[in-house]
Amino acid sequence: MRSARSFLLAVGLIVAIAMNPVWAAPVAPTRGGTLTIARPVDAVSLDPYFETTAPGAWIYQLILEPLVIMGPDMKVQPKLATSWNVMSPTRIRFALRRDVKFHDGTPFNAAAVKFTFDRSFDPRTPSRWASIAGPIKGAEVVDDYTVDIVASESYSPLIYSVAMVYAGIVSPTAVQRMGAEFSRRPVGTGPFRFEEWRTNDRISVTRSDDYWGQKAYLDRIVFRVIPEESARMIALRTGEVDMVLMPAPAQLQIFARDANFTVASATGLRVVMIAMNLSRPPVSDVRVRRAMIMGTDRKSIVDNILEGAGAPADGVLAPGVFGYKPLGLDTRYPYNPQRARTLLQEAGFRPGPDGIMQREGIPLVLTLLSPRGRFFKDAEISEAFQAQMREIGVRVDISFLEWATVFTTMRAAVLDYHVVTRGWVTTTADADYSLLPLFRSDQVPPRGWNLHRYFNPEYDKLVDQARSSTSAREREEIYGRAQELLARDIMAIPVYVSREIAVMRANVKGFVPHPIEYNQGFAYVWIQR
Amino acid sequence: MTRFLLRRILAMIPVLLGVILLIMVTINLIPGDPAALMLGEGATPEMVAKLRASLNLDQPLPVRYVRYVGNLLRGDLGRSIREGRRVNDEIGDVWPATAQLGLSALSIAVVAGVVLGITSARWQYSLFDNLVRIASLFGLSMPIFWTGIVLIVVFSLWLGWFPAGGRGSWLHMVLPAVTLALPTIAMLARITRSTMLDVLREDYIRTARAKGVTTRSVLTRHALRNALIPVVTVMGLQTGQLLGGAVLTETVFSWPGIGRMLVRAIFARDYVLLQGGVLVLAATFVVINLLVDLSYAYLDPRITYR
Repeated sequence: MRSARSFLLAVGLIVAIAMNPVWAAPVAPTRGGTLTIARPVDAVSLDPYFETTAPGAWIYQLILEPLVIMGPDMKVQPKLATSWNVMSPTRIRFALRRDVKFHDGTPFNAAAVKFTFDRSFDPRTPSRWASIAGPIKGAEVVDDYTVDIVASESYSPLIYSVAMVYAGIVSPTAVQRMGAEFSRRPVGTGPFRFEEWRTNDRISVTRSDDYWGQKAYLDRIVFRVIPEESARMIALRTGEVDMVLMPAPAQLQIFARDANFTVASATGLRVVMIAMNLSRPPVSDVRVRRAMIMGTDRKSIVDNILEGAGAPADGVLAPGVFGYKPLGLDTRYPYNPQRARTLLQEAGFRPGPDGIMQREGIPLVLTLLSPRGRFFKDAEISEAFQAQMREIGVRVDISFLEWATVFTTMRAAVLDYHVVTRGWVTTTADADYSLLPLFRSDQVPPRGWNLHRYFNPEYDKLVDQARSSTSAREREEIYGRAQELLARDIMAIPVYVSREIAVMRANVKGFVPHPIEYNQGFAYVWIQR
Repeated sequence: MTRFLLRRILAMIPVLLGVILLIMVTINLIPGDPAALMLGEGATPEMVAKLRASLNLDQPLPVRYVRYVGNLLRGDLGRSIREGRRVNDEIGDVWPATAQLGLSALSIAVVAGVVLGITSARWQYSLFDNLVRIASLFGLSMPIFWTGIVLIVVFSLWLGWFPAGGRGSWLHMVLPAVTLALPTIAMLARITRSTMLDVLREDYIRTARAKGVTTRSVLTRHALRNALIPVVTVMGLQTGQLLGGAVLTETVFSWPGIGRMLVRAIFARDYVLLQGGVLVLAATFVVINLLVDLSYAYLDPRITYR
């Protein structure tokens, strides 16, 4: 299993290298053809105002372009803006391209940017992505081709919010003319234009031949909906589709070995962890938490359950996130059930007649809240944790609930569970997006997501400092210290970091997997003939 | 007849009002807030409250019920919570696909089921009869999910005769319609066989034979028509089965129908879309049952409606 995973990682890496444009240079891309992509669900909408999930974002980012965009190397790259200048922690000034027109002929300028941001951050009816973007207030026009994006309070990750695919600029005339219909037929500036949407079946886009930048190779891209995992893989084999997103993990190794197919992957931004609730004894005792993390064989979970579709996590952040610090959890808290039992005994627990530890006659029982099917292998991980805790004399009772119910339970002011299996994506790719709402004292639900009930003034000061600092080096260092505190106090047992995986026919070239799930770009993919 | 029809149509109104009430109450009992789900992990309570208000989710259930029914009278099913799109448009997109799939499956099931049933009854206890009875047991007990995947593997992957999924030409139609029809074929074959056997023992059949009518004519003109009443009843009830099975079939074969729309609406807690979808399904079922009732009079002239 271990070698299979390394193999898959290696394949992913080789593909990523091979598909790097510089390396691929000797083979000239062929123009033309249709790329058919299968994914499990249809888009909610093709307008970031309504849609923040990947199945829609994959499509509308071909049509709508933001001012700047986060590249696959996790660096911010210019798109509709040629350059930008951080004026203060609340303001960034963008110089815009002057040669761009929307697909409906409307000229692109500062007014269009202002229109897009005003629409998204309208306090009466905010867009769905307003909740992710941080304290953005809106856009201010400086002149026709200069615009400021302004935050209402110090927010140094501001550029990351503007670089999200959600910040795609919409054609103001099209929105006004089409009304609600715009979200079904968006008009932007991108390398592809919207063509057709057959609900729950397919959405297609065609190449825009008067695109301002490098023109796409493909004539058309068709996104099909194939909900059933095995049906998706069969459609790839029969040639009905050229690429599968969210492939069946159990079949990855078979496809990786088959010369007719290519598997490409990148380490993602989601960390799945078992979160501790400090308000519930005995989890409030750090010795018990230490016993729990040392009694969890994280490596065996990653190797045996994830089938190569996840990488071991070394903290609550993923490696691609700005501010990430590897914490060396494997050496800090190595898997050692013997030591874990000793720790529990130090905390006053003694083995009972049934093998379960007890203190003053009360058995050590932990309640675990777990979704099933929301995060890859979430239920299996909860069950493995349960079995491993049994080894150190801890009984775990799991409540498996459907995601919407788990969500509501986690969001409540009181959390009755000791531990929660949960995932978290650092959507902006900046540590602030996770370290503040997940662990700051004032972020206890329902306000934020500090379901750990972590109250540490020293930690709070660090995340506040980092939010208002404009020096990237300083911020990185502060976030490092904050993560040290989380590791010391053991807020969670981090299990794995997601992988973004695509399987395609071997003649599909030029696809570079992106660490951010919804940022997968298909604009410069081509089909070899 | 006209009065009967009128009365039945009027009776549909309380049924559908009850359906709406039932849907709204049950949905309200499920934990999970669509606004919070939509905004995701990063939303503050203020944002969620704002969205709830803009979607009219903050109003009490009776108010929402009255408002919904009021809009319904004007033919307006409301706007989807998650997509902001008119539910009428959404259902207009997916309903034809489900109707097409359901009708094809029903046609296949009726033709195959009745023919198999008659043949079985004609040659009772023959090898053919035994085979049909075993096969129909199999057809009734196999889950749609499983038969669907098996058909895809055999006919798409190995033989390459039909596409593995999606909606397009009639070729796309074959596998999902057959998959959906299989349990109903089995059911109809069994029912047709047993009612035919009953009818064939009646006195008038013996009379017909005695006066020299051919076997073929006895079967199709005398026996079948009388045997059809239970068959048609089961057909009407099976339509509900077909609509339910469509959810699974649509998932396996990537068929863009109402079943998958409903599943999506449930997970997103999109109350409005869910209400609209279930309402349309319920209305379909009620109408089909009315048609079944009407067909009795056609099949058996002794039955009249008052």
